[in-house]
Amino acid sequence: MLRSKLKPTLAYLVLIVPSTLIILGFLWLLITSFSTRIEGLRSLGWTLHNWRFLWESPFGPQYPSIWLVTLNTLVMSLIMTLIVVVVSSLTGYALSRMKFPGRKGFLSLTLILHAFPSVTLLIPIYFVLLWIAKIPLIGRDVPLLGGFGYNTLGGVALVMVAFQLPFGIWIMKGFFDNISWDMERSALIDGASRFKVWWQIIMPNIKPGIAALSIFSFLTAWNAYLIPLTFTAGRAGKSAVLSLYLQNFISESVMTEWNAVAAVGLFQLVPVVLFFLFTQEALLNIYGGGKKGGV
Amino acid sequence: MKITLEALNKHFGKVKAVDDLDLVVENGELVALLGPSGCGKTTTLLMIAGIYKPSSGRIRFDEQVVNRLLPKERNIGMVFQSYALYPHMSTFDNITYPLKLKKVRRGEMKERAQKAADMMGIGELLDRKPAQLSGGQQQRVALARALVKEPAILLFDEPLSNLDAKLRLRMRGEIKRLQEDLGVTAVYVTHDQVEAMTMASRIAVMNYGVLQTYGAPNQLYDHPDTLFVAGFIGAPPMNFLETRFEERDNGFYLRSQALEIRIPDERGVLAKQNDAPQQVIMGIRPEDITIVAEPEGDFRAEVYLIEPLGREDLVTFRFGDEEIRALAPAPFGGRIGERMFLKLAKEKLHLFNPETEVSSFKER
Repeated sequence: MLRSKLKPTLAYLVLIVPSTLIILGFLWLLITSFSTRIEGLRSLGWTLHNWRFLWESPFGPQYPSIWLVTLNTLVMSLIMTLIVVVVSSLTGYALSRMKFPGRKGFLSLTLILHAFPSVTLLIPIYFVLLWIAKIPLIGRDVPLLGGFGYNTLGGVALVMVAFQLPFGIWIMKGFFDNISWDMERSALIDGASRFKVWWQIIMPNIKPGIAALSIFSFLTAWNAYLIPLTFTAGRAGKSAVLSLYLQNFISESVMTEWNAVAAVGLFQLVPVVLFFLFTQEALLNIYGGGKKGGV
Repeated sequence: MKITLEALNKHFGKVKAVDDLDLVVENGELVALLGPSGCGKTTTLLMIAGIYKPSSGRIRFDEQVVNRLLPKERNIGMVFQSYALYPHMSTFDNITYPLKLKKVRRGEMKERAQKAADMMGIGELLDRKPAQLSGGQQQRVALARALVKEPAILLFDEPLSNLDAKLRLRMRGEIKRLQEDLGVTAVYVTHDQVEAMTMASRIAVMNYGVLQTYGAPNQLYDHPDTLFVAGFIGAPPMNFLETRFEERDNGFYLRSQALEIRIPDERGVLAKQNDAPQQVIMGIRPEDITIVAEPEGDFRAEVYLIEPLGREDLVTFRFGDEEIRALAPAPFGGRIGERMFLKLAKEKLHLFNPETEVSSFKER
């Protein structure tokens, strides 16, 4: 009796301690962003001054507005998510269902790439993007994206896609593997074409996988820092994203305004938290191995 | 529709899944493909369905060669062991999926789906999802989906294996009845010989991709052509004993250390014509052995194990180094260790050549 009660109590204890620390951190962030100065968690005066970046550019007119930067981040994240999901689900299907030479090699290669430290590739990728920038039409001056070369949103998205794909392909292959061959055969016999089978029968049944991968990719892109930093011409440029914008506030020449940093950080965080609250069930699927109990 | 398989082969790499198969399924007939797992029966079925392409050989529906036809062009319905229902669709959508793909009018679609569902007794479940149905109900939905397009051929891939014993018995009867009522040609894959015996008009027994024998259930049971068929069909299985086949004093005898049996003359002649070797394998079914009083018995054996089956008791006897199992009317009076006399029904004996495994009683 005592034993059975002890176990959950212990589990709660183990969870409560780190959770409290994290919650305190967020609380500090929230209070700081609305205060002139704070002492511990106590505000020494409330203000909206830290949030003025929402309606004016704090560094002068040559810097892009927060709304353009947010749009940039959104575009980059959506582009990356879209490509990752489309390519992963097609590749995953092929790897799960078809026999072709090099299939095993391809699978182990993706796994190796997944484990590869991306930092080591930054310099070669820089040259690749410079080269892409010289290609007419897709290199530069594409509306919204800027293009797929160096210092464009598309280019950054492309690099992130490359780093995300191995993970995505493995996840999607796992979901396809869970779908019985009989279901496909049955649909073929019922009169569906190969494409209709994929679209009407297979895809609806891996919706949880697609949802999970989309969310995961979107969050990765939204929070990315290193790759946007490396492959755009700096935080003030046309193609700046939120994580870089935040860096404007932390410079060597002027004293850092930590209250404003907190406000911008919170601004970047809010969509993610909201998103996570509504989608965490789908997100858990990615490690749960897909569907349970038939649907 | 008549199905003809001619010299059909299917290789997966080096593995011969189906080896030179010839088979004819007559119009309106239910044929069972029977064999242990991995014997090529499902591969054969999937070739008939058009999912697998034959490596060589021909498949004909009536006179038309269908090798190159896609599954959807073959007008077949198929029921899978896993039911293969589409989990994201309601029962109604599952059943009407084949009709939707054929672009049948909505009104007609509804009518036909309702008819198929009513026939299977699932008329009230049309708006449920597969996950909300029991195994038996899912099986019925799968059947309704196979029937709704009024196929010329029905294919079954171990459809009852996932059901519990009682339900299996019931569905067995229903499927047979349905197939006979509709008069549709059917091929039924199973590893359960009772299922094959009870449902099929003819059984094709397969092993290692090779067709062992093809015939009516009683034919296979009473006159098995090969050792494999003799051992595979029938439960409890046939007893096999190694004996010597001898001809002397104008009679034919089977002899081993512990027994000597004279077999009917015409059978002995047949075996001799078939070049039965000196060493043969004798087979006898448990129900063809009776326990008798001393004078008429063929040999003595000791009761080793008694397994009550309800109506009968399965008794294992030991004699010498050999074991033999007999069915005795329940309740069996004997005790373990008791010595009793056994009599074999001589006209029900089988002889097999141990080299070729072919029956020495096979009519030429």
